[in-house]
Amino acid sequence: MFHWLEKHPFFFAVAVFVTIAFAGAIEIIPNFAQASRPTIGTAPYSTLELAGRHVYIKNSCNACHSQLVRPFKSETDRYGHYSLSGEYAYDRPFLWGSKRTGPDLMRVGNYRTTDWHENHMKDPAGVVPGSIMPSYRWLFKNDTDIDTAFAEQLTVAKFFSVPYNKPVPMKDGSSIVVKMGSSIEDAKAIALAEAKLIVADMKDQDVKDAVAKNKIPEIVALIAYLNSLK
Amino acid sequence: MNKLYLWGIIITAFMLGATYYTVVLTKGGLNGDIVNMLAITGAVALVVITVFVVVKYVRQMQTDTAEGQLADEDWDGIGEYLNEVPKGWAIVFLLTLVWGMWYFTIGYPVNAYSQIGEYNEDVVVHNAKFEKQYANITGDRLVEMGESVFLAECKVCHGLSADGIDGKAADLNARIEAKSVKFIIENGSNNELIGMEMPMPDRNGLFNATSGALITDAEIELVSSYVADGMSGKGAEIYAGTCAACHGGDGKGMDYVAPNIVAFTPTLVSNILKHGKKGAIGQMPAFDRLNAKQKEAVGAYITSLSK
Repeated sequence: MFHWLEKHPFFFAVAVFVTIAFAGAIEIIPNFAQASRPTIGTAPYSTLELAGRHVYIKNSCNACHSQLVRPFKSETDRYGHYSLSGEYAYDRPFLWGSKRTGPDLMRVGNYRTTDWHENHMKDPAGVVPGSIMPSYRWLFKNDTDIDTAFAEQLTVAKFFSVPYNKPVPMKDGSSIVVKMGSSIEDAKAIALAEAKLIVADMKDQDVKDAVAKNKIPEIVALIAYLNSLK
Repeated sequence: MNKLYLWGIIITAFMLGATYYTVVLTKGGLNGDIVNMLAITGAVALVVITVFVVVKYVRQMQTDTAEGQLADEDWDGIGEYLNEVPKGWAIVFLLTLVWGMWYFTIGYPVNAYSQIGEYNEDVVVHNAKFEKQYANITGDRLVEMGESVFLAECKVCHGLSADGIDGKAADLNARIEAKSVKFIIENGSNNELIGMEMPMPDRNGLFNATSGALITDAEIELVSSYVADGMSGKGAEIYAGTCAACHGGDGKGMDYVAPNIVAFTPTLVSNILKHGKKGAIGQMPAFDRLNAKQKEAVGAYITSLSK
């Protein structure tokens, strides 16, 4: 049956390639698809959280803080369960790191709170003696760029079918719906509603005043993002 | 003379000449250096051996003829001699078969490396070691362990000396602050401090039996400082009329009903670590990844602070 192939080295090579590629594909793709599916309990970022993620990247937090807990006892003791690939399903790009100048932040939302982040961003050494992290006071003044966050939401919802406005399963069997605005005004209103929940736990009067005037300082978005890391 | 040998000699002579030219006739040259001598000897040997080997095999290809009995089969005109398989090859081939079966059935599936598998083994080993060394410690050693856990997990909010860093978190050197008592009386509490959901009502559910009415603002102020000062000062009768029913006359609480409000207890601290806490100062997240002994140790350490 393959006699003909034996006499034609080129087509023989092509046939070998096709055979091996097929075997590889059926071995690799199902596992890969399974592993890259969002884990139960991983929800898309809300508008404010996504804006906070942009603040995080803009200030190069990822230069010192990784978001990848490796499966070592010493790491899981300190940071919680090791990371699973499906937990990064909505991270574009993921923020892994190969060098930790500061601690890993993959699950920082589990053991730090809004007011702690507020104190820490103002004066890191004030809460962590000997910390070499600089303070990020400008975050309390700059306004958050909601437009870009909304644009990203629209894009990923359209091109990657990120489930905004759809039920997302949680670990306890319930499901939550992450809202995405239908227009930019709508998105800003949603982000502002989220911001109000965050500033309720904050102490800085300037930030509280700004939110009362329908502005969102970057610190609020960043804290929303950090709290969402669980 | 065979043409092949002639070419061999020509190429050898050319290569050696080129070597002689590049080394001896250029500036520097051998320079009487032993390393240079060795290198040049190596180069000469390489040229001679290469040419010799090439000539040998080309000669063999030109002159060799195949001999022996052919097998009946042939494949597209390619035949096969009926030679014995060399013994070494045959043995290795059979061993490979055996090894392949072992690897396919037992070797790989059972012994395959997995990062998570290694992690799980690590955890088992670590837990066994922990169990052996620390499961039964008590007293000062427990307090020491609690301090080390405190320094790793708690100090970022409560501070190195557990003073709460200027009100950013609770001051653990005393059981409770007046503002926390006041906040709890006004808002109630359901922090699972006794390990179960057992809400304390807010001020609209706190009846002062002595005055026969709901607790008032002035009474809240008084009783808050009374509790914060370690059950001393004014307010004893308000406490007795309102709080003592659950927290006990001496403030030491009752199991499954109300927590101790005059001193920290390891159980109280363990429950806070398990469930987190929300009160006058803010939210404390849960630290449930600590194991039971570590929680107990933190409880012992914090209890020791206010003694």
